[in-house]
Amino acid sequence: MRSLCLAFCLASGVAVAADAPLPKLIDAAVAAKIQADDIVPALQADDHTLIRRLTLDLVGRLPTPQEIEAFVASKDVDKRAKLVDRLLGTAAFARYQAYLFDAMLNDRSGGKGGGGLQGYLTAAMLESRPWDQMFRELLLADESKAKGSSDFLRPKLTDADRLAAEVSVAFFGVNVSCAQCHDHPNVKYWTQDHFYGMKSFLARTFDAGGTVAEREAGLVKFKPTKGPERQAKLMFLTGAVVDTTTVRELTKDEQAKEKAATDKAKADKKPLPAPSFSARAKLVDVALDPKNADFFAKNIVNRMWHRFLGYGLVSPLDQMHSENPPSHPELLDALAKDTAANKYDLKRLIRGIVLSEAYSRGSRYDSEAFPLPTTFAVGRLKPLTPSQLATALKIANTDPKAFETMKPNEVEQRMDSLESQARGFASAIAMPTDNFQIGVNEALLFSNGDRVQKEFLTDGAGTLLGRLKTEKDATTAAKLMIQTVLGRPAADGEAKAFADFAARRTDRQSDSYRHMLWALVTSAEFRFNH
Amino acid sequence: MRSFFCRSADHGVSRRAFLGGAAAVGASAVADMTGLSVLGTPALAGEMKKKQKRVILLWLAGGASQLETWDPKPGASTGGPFRAIKTDVPGLQISELMPEMAKRMKTTCVVRGLNTRNGDHGGGAKMMMRGRMDVGPIRYPDLGAVLAREMGRADSKVPDYVTFYTQTEGRGSAPGDSGFLGARFAPMELTTNNVPEFIRKLDGITELDHAQRNDLRDLLSKQFTQGRQSDTLGSHNQAYERVRGIMASEKLFDITQEPQKVRDKYGPTQFAEQALIARRLVEAGVPFVRVARAWWDSHGQNFETHQEMVPELDHVMATLIDDLKERGLLDDVMVVTLAEFGRTPGINSSLGRDHFASAWSMTMSGGGIKGGAVWGKTDDKGNKVIDQEVSAGTLFATLYEALGIKHDKNYYVGARPIPLVDPGFHPIEQLLG
Repeated sequence: MRSLCLAFCLASGVAVAADAPLPKLIDAAVAAKIQADDIVPALQADDHTLIRRLTLDLVGRLPTPQEIEAFVASKDVDKRAKLVDRLLGTAAFARYQAYLFDAMLNDRSGGKGGGGLQGYLTAAMLESRPWDQMFRELLLADESKAKGSSDFLRPKLTDADRLAAEVSVAFFGVNVSCAQCHDHPNVKYWTQDHFYGMKSFLARTFDAGGTVAEREAGLVKFKPTKGPERQAKLMFLTGAVVDTTTVRELTKDEQAKEKAATDKAKADKKPLPAPSFSARAKLVDVALDPKNADFFAKNIVNRMWHRFLGYGLVSPLDQMHSENPPSHPELLDALAKDTAANKYDLKRLIRGIVLSEAYSRGSRYDSEAFPLPTTFAVGRLKPLTPSQLATALKIANTDPKAFETMKPNEVEQRMDSLESQARGFASAIAMPTDNFQIGVNEALLFSNGDRVQKEFLTDGAGTLLGRLKTEKDATTAAKLMIQTVLGRPAADGEAKAFADFAARRTDRQSDSYRHMLWALVTSAEFRFNH
Repeated sequence: MRSFFCRSADHGVSRRAFLGGAAAVGASAVADMTGLSVLGTPALAGEMKKKQKRVILLWLAGGASQLETWDPKPGASTGGPFRAIKTDVPGLQISELMPEMAKRMKTTCVVRGLNTRNGDHGGGAKMMMRGRMDVGPIRYPDLGAVLAREMGRADSKVPDYVTFYTQTEGRGSAPGDSGFLGARFAPMELTTNNVPEFIRKLDGITELDHAQRNDLRDLLSKQFTQGRQSDTLGSHNQAYERVRGIMASEKLFDITQEPQKVRDKYGPTQFAEQALIARRLVEAGVPFVRVARAWWDSHGQNFETHQEMVPELDHVMATLIDDLKERGLLDDVMVVTLAEFGRTPGINSSLGRDHFASAWSMTMSGGGIKGGAVWGKTDDKGNKVIDQEVSAGTLFATLYEALGIKHDKNYYVGARPIPLVDPGFHPIEQLLG
């Protein structure tokens, strides 16, 4: 009865008690659609899976065997919230989320932005800086106030069209580039005015010898598909126009002055002073104005939802427009409002998402009618990111004993160091995107690459393989290996298959264990966050 | 309202049937590797039965001169020292540096009217490998990746996209790139020698252990795949299933397997050897092979450069075409010569020619193109196209149609339709065989 009411309330656009905790808000909305679609959702994931999922998603690594054991054994009804709060408070959370933001902001360059950007993002995440403030800093690119922030814009300054497109995609979830050459063929809303309007905010920005600078004035002209050439206004996606007298070409005199100032700035190694009217600063103002902030707020909600659920409320992430409605419009709306009302606090939003039942559904669904991803009725498999995968490989071959005597902060330090060691290998792995495909090149690298052997399958002191040498029989060794690598108890059939594999190789036990570890770390179960 | 989004449940199901669980993958030994193009066209049956076409792209990295190859201007102030010679196609003349090809132009179509508007190495390479530039956040797949996807097989025992780029010039700016098609269609890149990386098992592991540890991996993964449906999961299992087959294809890269007589025909140069490997690969079903031959970027001493390099191109290309013809492969395999751009008609003070993208040439031989055809005309000095101008989009539309791929078909990135060639570009019907 209660859930029916919820469904009804949501469908009629009345939010479930607007101040309800976020997980409740989320679950009511997701449950309503699941019921409306007449779907049986997957069961909740078990505790082994849940701690692996949360630890990978929040801090980018596998949990240690001790962390898993403690979590599974705990009878505390709040154990999940406590785990989440502990993880959210670590430096690893800041580092790993910064890594993901870096990839998001530099989507085009394969997640490799200017070198300082990840440092900026990590510092911002460490102090839980609000997302709107990060947006402002990234667009103002003032190194004296926010070190590393200019590395978002700087690598993109060679191409103003691309810059306009990428800023719109990253912060507003809107890809206006289709409207570059013509009004959007399918989305009536997007016109060339929108594209060139966004470009007008950004086209005055240029690279003055390694620093981001901006002109006092600027003019973007475009040739519409019909009619005479037009001058673009400083127009935001909502149609809001910034009124200014600076929409004009620079005079010859101004151009000469700019060149002299740029040369001087280069010689002095100092950035140019900001213009008296900054179109970029105006873009930030207009985008964050409550009248226009819908795009900004919904985009970050959708991206965080996608990061943790593996599929956006709006999909693709850059297609937020009237003709591509969200799967759960009221939910997106409510989360966006909540986020804006709470000073764009990312931790609050992330915490709300990962404490929901929608997040913790199992990824297995034993029925023919597999629900569509838009229902969020089944946990979605997420391929590990390069950093997750490489770090996981390091952790997998660590003797579980090594963590036993460590305090939590020591575990964090050790994990930090494993992640650094794994960074080289991570660069050989592709960053997942939507519709990600794993290629044969990766399988060949794992199958025949020398470095996989040397970096992840060694058997020296402190490694899992080293430890296994001391185990009395192959079955015990197999069980310990499966438990350590996959983070769950070995099924009988698996332990037997592994022991049989070892039994055929008693003349070369250490080789045999190495092959078994290889089979585990190349298995699909290891490759995905499930 | 959402007619432009092919999002119906039917599509979802058929796509998963192709890609989802391991069982589905095993059962679907169909022509199309991913099933994704099933989404693109309802005329599935016809598509699947099409004859498998393949491409060998001779990539003239740095930009070969059209004036010293396919569009000579003897006697003009821009013409340089070389003569033009007659070919087996009446009225068609090419540079005297290409006597062998002059006897085989009936197999080949010359496009002389290229105007591709991009004169820097990085941009030009992107444009000519894709037929367009990336716009916004979409990363387009290149020709090799499209061929890999259209022509490769799910259970293929060979790689789908191989690229040789041993010389360093321009290598960084012209990597093979599968764009939004993803790593499944990424190229196997050979940059240091003629044996692909990671194709050979490490010495420390026995053949038996290598195979059986994979069985163990497979057992675990199959178990995990139960009750789970994901395209990415399907691609992971499929990638490992292909490893043993790809490893077995190592011998394709070994030219000592060829009779000495054949090796002698191609000759001992690296370019020739790689062209021979390319022939071995396409013969075994590899849909796309690029062989890059660099050092064409002749800003100085253009004529010495071309005097040295064009005869090698002439010899290798002619030998390759003969070889394919003798094996009955020329109807299905297209040999393409292409570069970032051509070279300026104007000769600079270092007796070089610079980058030039507004009136240059490329060729296509075999594989469904009309041999002996010439398209496009440049003015007396070669400065501009005066008739039948061809853009990169038009060229790619033509290439795809000749290879039996509809140029206007859509790919879907998620729910978003992305046409294979930018809208508004159409194939040159007169060049289709």
